[in-house]
Amino acid sequence: MGASKGQKLSGLQKQVLSLYRGFLRAARSKPCEDRCQIESIVSAEFRRNSKQVDRKNFFYIEYLLRRGKKQLDQLKSPDTMGLSSLNVSSSQKQNAKT
Amino acid sequence: MASMAGSSISMQPRHTLATTRVSGLKLVSFMNQGRSSLSFNLRPMPARLRISCAAKPETVDKVCAIVRKQLALPNDKPVTGDSKFADLGADSLDTVEIVMGIEEEFGIAVEEDNAQSITTVQDAADLVEKLCSEKSA
Repeated sequence: MGASKGQKLSGLQKQVLSLYRGFLRAARSKPCEDRCQIESIVSAEFRRNSKQVDRKNFFYIEYLLRRGKKQLDQLKSPDTMGLSSLNVSSSQKQNAKT
Repeated sequence: MASMAGSSISMQPRHTLATTRVSGLKLVSFMNQGRSSLSFNLRPMPARLRISCAAKPETVDKVCAIVRKQLALPNDKPVTGDSKFADLGADSLDTVEIVMGIEEEFGIAVEEDNAQSITTVQDAADLVEKLCSEKSA
């Protein structure tokens, strides 16, 4: 619709960007420290997936979108203080966190 | 009616042909809209003309600073109104961040459709001016 010039975004890409915007908006309502942490985790997660996930893997992207929307709803609740991320690939870190 | 004609004449010498044509169009639409409050309809005209022109240099500079900060560009990298975000190395996620930074800096809310049509610093500055004037109006 809006993107008449420049690269044309697919519907799925628009949804991802809209979700990203939603996360950044939600982060604004949190206290400064939490906010910075949320922003860095969310940004790292989106960037990691943008590099790792094949752009034709629609089912997986749709799954990530659904998961992200749920996480965003949780983050929006005033009770939620912040996010934390677990690095599943390295078992040592996971043990340290739990 | 007489006061309308007077205002359009006073504008002609200052602007190019294109803007004269614009003010002519505006006059027609004003006449259609309503003749009840002549003076009220006439006053917003200069303001609207200013918006249709390019954004103020301060706004462009501010947007450039936000872009520079968001993309962590080195100081020797030139950022001007014509700079395309993609040419500065921004992907679509960076563009979202830039738009969010602009929203906070200027205290405005950019709609999603608009946010995705922004590709240059000038686009962003023009949109900021439009939204700021809508907010103050």
